[in-house]
Amino acid sequence: MTRSQQAIAAAVEWLVRLQRPSVTEADWLAFDAWLAESADHTAAYDAALAFDQEFDLGPTQLAPPPPAPVAVIRPRLRPSRRAWIWSTGAALAAAGVVGAVLLPLTAAPETVYSTGFGERKTVVLEDGSRIDLNAHSKIAVRFARGERHVTLGDAQAFFDVAKDPRRPFVIDAGDTRVRVVGTAFDVRHRDGAVAVAVQRGVVEVRPGTADRPTLIRLLPGEGLSHVEGQAGARPRPVAVDEITSWREGRLIYRDQPLSEIVADLNRQFARPLQLGDAHAADLRLSGVLIVDRQDAMVARLSSLLPVQATTTPDAVVIRSR
Amino acid sequence: MLRLYAEKRVNLVRLFAARLRSTAEAEDLVQDLYLKVQAMGEVDAREGGSALLFRMAQNLMLDRLRSGARASARDEGWRRLQGATVGGEQIADAPAADDVVAARQRLAALMAALETLPPREARAFTLHKLEGLSHAETAIAMGVSRSSVEKHISAALKTLIAKLP
Repeated sequence: MTRSQQAIAAAVEWLVRLQRPSVTEADWLAFDAWLAESADHTAAYDAALAFDQEFDLGPTQLAPPPPAPVAVIRPRLRPSRRAWIWSTGAALAAAGVVGAVLLPLTAAPETVYSTGFGERKTVVLEDGSRIDLNAHSKIAVRFARGERHVTLGDAQAFFDVAKDPRRPFVIDAGDTRVRVVGTAFDVRHRDGAVAVAVQRGVVEVRPGTADRPTLIRLLPGEGLSHVEGQAGARPRPVAVDEITSWREGRLIYRDQPLSEIVADLNRQFARPLQLGDAHAADLRLSGVLIVDRQDAMVARLSSLLPVQATTTPDAVVIRSR
Repeated sequence: MLRLYAEKRVNLVRLFAARLRSTAEAEDLVQDLYLKVQAMGEVDAREGGSALLFRMAQNLMLDRLRSGARASARDEGWRRLQGATVGGEQIADAPAADDVVAARQRLAALMAALETLPPREARAFTLHKLEGLSHAETAIAMGVSRSSVEKHISAALKTLIAKLP
């Protein structure tokens, strides 16, 4: 190896080391000292850095612009007066009970936000709080004088709540109530289960609002999962960055069954994925899936797991092979 | 302290250019650091001054990431290719045609060089650089440790730099 090759090799080692999530003072001092050792080192590093940055731009030059800048929607100052009644109303209507909807006459107007297949949305509320909505999600927002209230239907949402101790922010997801004053966290309400993961601040959760719920306080890096109708839940450490990676168009799994992954993908695309056999449903995956085109995602799934896909006009069927 | 800043400035930019994936953003950051250092007034910087500068820059970087003020290096690359920017406003939608051709040729050469790498190196490199996963996410996707990912990426970079001067 020539001297300049050695310098390039060392420069690359430095570059990769500096791109780790955390870099310490000691790293900086050592790096600074290494650069000062010789002009070859600085030249080699600058070359490696330039090369690295050039490559970083690769995909954007070929592909269309970066993943869909999510639409930012600001509610009109005076939201529509359409009083939107969550499941209570639907349940009553389904039961044939008409005109028995009990809403306080002074109820603040409710605004509904929803997303379709593969759609993501950011909603900025009047208090400055932001809600990122994942695909195929529906929420209702109502701001009253003493309370900011959100009802989560079938939805996953990331909340960045503006601080207001006098007006707590309350989220109802099925039988679970989440209460905060100002913090950032993810709530997922899907298929009869509620999961909460906290990024910043303290979040109070009462899983099972109906039946003497116990209050659980979650700190950053903690979360819980709760099955509706069952008793409580226990806080546990969770990988918040992974859970919230859907906001960047990625799905990260650790040992999750294909059935759950298929359910997630079916919120992204109108043409449903179906599991052809029970064995396929139980296959487990750890890995990162980038959300792009359905056929590309299915192809990647089949390279990660022993499955094959058959596309019919109205569905994609996945079978074990 | 200002003298120490002047001495360390270039190397700080080098370090943060790696972390932010953009030399322009690193320049920006280190410029902000200058304002902070200036505001500190006369400080005896003989001991631990260099480490202090790094800590301050690191905090500035975290503030920036948190405030979301930072457009990603990828977006920046896209804009740079899409057209010139004047006073923060994009003025043209289309890049000069020969720039695009040159960029594409260069990219095609890089892709061809990628093909010649050992498969795991190529995969780690592709996931990290082209698909934008972090080292940790690349490790999960490949089912290997983070340190192996770093080794694969280092090895790939060394080969590619040698092949494509």
